[in-house]
Amino acid sequence: MTLIRNTYQEIIHRLFRGDDRLLLIIAGSIAGVCSGIAAVVLRLSLEAVLEWLHHFRHFWWAFALPAVGAVASSFFLNKVVKEGAGHGVPEVIYAVSRYGGLLRFRSSFSRLISSFLTIGSGGSAGPEAPVVMSGSAIGSNIAKFFHLNDRQRITLVGCGTAGAIASIFNAPIAGLVFSIEVILGEWKFVNIIPIAIAAVAGAEVSHAIIPEQVIFNHQPFETGFNDIWGSICLALFAAMISVFFTRVLRQSGKLAKRIELPLWIKAAIGGCTVGLISMGMPVVLGEGYHYIQMMISEEFSLSIFLVLVAVLAKIVATSLTLGWGGSGGIFAPCLVIGSLTGVLFHKGLMALFPGAGCASEGAYALLGMTGLISGVMQAPLTGIFLIVEITGGYEAILPLILVSSIASTLSHYIEPASFYFKELIERGQFLRPGTDARILSDLNISELIETDMITVTDNRMFRDLIDILKTTEQDVFPVIGSQSGNYEGLIQISAIRKFALDPGMYDMIFVSQVMDSTLQTASLENDIQEIIDMMNTNRVDHIPVVENDRFIGMIKKTKILDLYRQELIMQTISH
Amino acid sequence: MNYKLLHIFRNTPFGRETFLQSLYFCKMINAYPVVYIPKSDKFLFYFSNDAVQVDLDSSYLSSPDTARGHVEALFEEMALSPRFYEPKNFTASSLPDVSTQFDYFACPRSVSDMSSKIGLGHIGPKVRRIVKHATFPVLMTSPVFKPWKSISVFFGGSRNAMTALKAGVKIAMASGLPLDLYTLKENQGEDHYRDLVAKEEIGEYASDLLRQWHFYEKADFDAMLYDVPHNSLIVLGAYGHGVIKDILLGSKLEQIQSTVTNNLLITGPHCSVTL
Repeated sequence: MTLIRNTYQEIIHRLFRGDDRLLLIIAGSIAGVCSGIAAVVLRLSLEAVLEWLHHFRHFWWAFALPAVGAVASSFFLNKVVKEGAGHGVPEVIYAVSRYGGLLRFRSSFSRLISSFLTIGSGGSAGPEAPVVMSGSAIGSNIAKFFHLNDRQRITLVGCGTAGAIASIFNAPIAGLVFSIEVILGEWKFVNIIPIAIAAVAGAEVSHAIIPEQVIFNHQPFETGFNDIWGSICLALFAAMISVFFTRVLRQSGKLAKRIELPLWIKAAIGGCTVGLISMGMPVVLGEGYHYIQMMISEEFSLSIFLVLVAVLAKIVATSLTLGWGGSGGIFAPCLVIGSLTGVLFHKGLMALFPGAGCASEGAYALLGMTGLISGVMQAPLTGIFLIVEITGGYEAILPLILVSSIASTLSHYIEPASFYFKELIERGQFLRPGTDARILSDLNISELIETDMITVTDNRMFRDLIDILKTTEQDVFPVIGSQSGNYEGLIQISAIRKFALDPGMYDMIFVSQVMDSTLQTASLENDIQEIIDMMNTNRVDHIPVVENDRFIGMIKKTKILDLYRQELIMQTISH
Repeated sequence: MNYKLLHIFRNTPFGRETFLQSLYFCKMINAYPVVYIPKSDKFLFYFSNDAVQVDLDSSYLSSPDTARGHVEALFEEMALSPRFYEPKNFTASSLPDVSTQFDYFACPRSVSDMSSKIGLGHIGPKVRRIVKHATFPVLMTSPVFKPWKSISVFFGGSRNAMTALKAGVKIAMASGLPLDLYTLKENQGEDHYRDLVAKEEIGEYASDLLRQWHFYEKADFDAMLYDVPHNSLIVLGAYGHGVIKDILLGSKLEQIQSTVTNNLLITGPHCSVTL
């Protein structure tokens, strides 16, 4: 028995622990398959329910359907699974940045169900963020099951994300790129292979379950020299729409937070309004893939004015759905708004320059999608590769790169943080690998505290302090209450120089008379940035750490800088 | 000492009993309690390998305007200065992350709503997950405030039991109360257990503080529980083995907590205790 166990442990160690690449590839493919299945299940469920509800859309009461879905979704998220609402992607980024990718198990299914209720009933949102959340949580929990460390867990979160995106769009490269560009934020060799395999696994699962169905049929299109100028102008237009969409989305959420109403009533208000909008403009309903396909295939026959109204309606409907209690993501709405933007631009171009000889309206719909993804998410590579995979070729790579890079740059210029990152940045929680904030947050305060400090009690004579000074290099002395044992203050050599140079004072004053009791103290709950701020405010190089009135130790700026350098080397050079 | 105990305050009569128990524990071991008055009905503990969401019922949020006053009054009664915990990080706007950088955590046997029966019953799933992943011992308070006069450590020789012994010794040292050890002999003689303790660094401290080491035969589990003084703090390790063994054989912890009304200090598999 012992022999079998030892042999098993030896094999496990050789295969997985010594070099974890194989382990990550195997665990990553499991994560990719599971998240791929989750994505396919959501997609099929949505298709079925949207198809079923389609027959009821002509009734007068159909405007209330999105409200019913939003209320059910809000109730499910807040009362049944108690998730704490959110769009999903920022939470995954937060978990990756701060907690080594730890995500709750319930997150692997909760957003799937809530977004099914929201989108299935007609709410304007996308299923991508829920499947990203679900895939990431699956990856995180697989890592938990195998007792993997933080780095390995983060890789598996990336695998789950890649598998989900790859599965829903049948686009493995877009899945890989989205995972690294948006979720992980760093291109590392050790991450890329498992994530790529997970993306392929996710796409294959999707293909195996629904071989005949891809979301958008591949549409190769031809572009010419005139399209370069068209692309540049479209990129500028898409950037403006992106910024407008991001701002409306955020303001809508803020407005909903300010209104003191129960969550379900807010969700009902948002849902009813979306339902009313959909009566005149059905393009706002659901995830909108069907309308995207129509635009790509040039079967979307609204006038230029109505397309403009559709763009605005979709922006408002998405803001009301997501900001007021519905569940889902902004990926699909970006695609719908992007394709509408492209169509609108093309119609405008044709109206102004009928003989311009530009590419088709469908081509501009695809370029508009790239523009919106690049602008709203500030993820240019995701935008490019998603459309490349959808069109099935590299013929349009030049205009795609142009639209993507200009739209993301201009959006970044106007709105420095993408929709996903904005909230995290405002909360000071956006800690990307290799950034200053991340390095500081990774430093552990307990590593910084010097506990072997010589302390003096407040009832000692100044001469006693001078005697101690002769035997040590220490330049600050914490003063402890002789009766209470509490921290009372700090003596700095620089501050007692005048007394030290006058031996006549040695037996005339007590230590408590020369200590500084006004200096700010830190506690173990302060983070490093707060401690650095305290040092800067007080213009000191050391801060005493005090807990429960007791002196714990001293933090010195030199020690912070030393550890910072070590961490910097580890995070930026070792990989 | 600078040991900190985290207490999630529930502004109800039952919550008062639990809090009194926490205050008493801190008073005895010279630790200080840090009180978190929740503002939302859930929070997250991020442990090294798991994120545990603790869902609170609405009674934890009742009368927030009086909660702080009640806590301060109880602190004053125990001659301790009040300390409150405010979460700094939030996973979602209504989902705060509560720090796990504490030395002890106090909670009732189950975090359940006011309609649940108060008493022994079972350990709730959330409390169980906290114990399984916590790096600190969890103080599971008795339903009614009950001072303790000795420390009883259940020692079965496992790694978890050794951690429990360390926690027991640490509390005995801090409180000056006598320490008793209770061991069920599982196909081993008494010397085996004595050797196990003697080999560890803790052995010397344990022998100095030990009042009596009670040994029982494997079948005498109930007799052992009967012998434990009702007014002692029981310290024990928990969830040292896998799920399958747990299901097949049942958990000793579950049996103990459903039989005795004592306060329990539980050390889980990830708990670490230093003297």
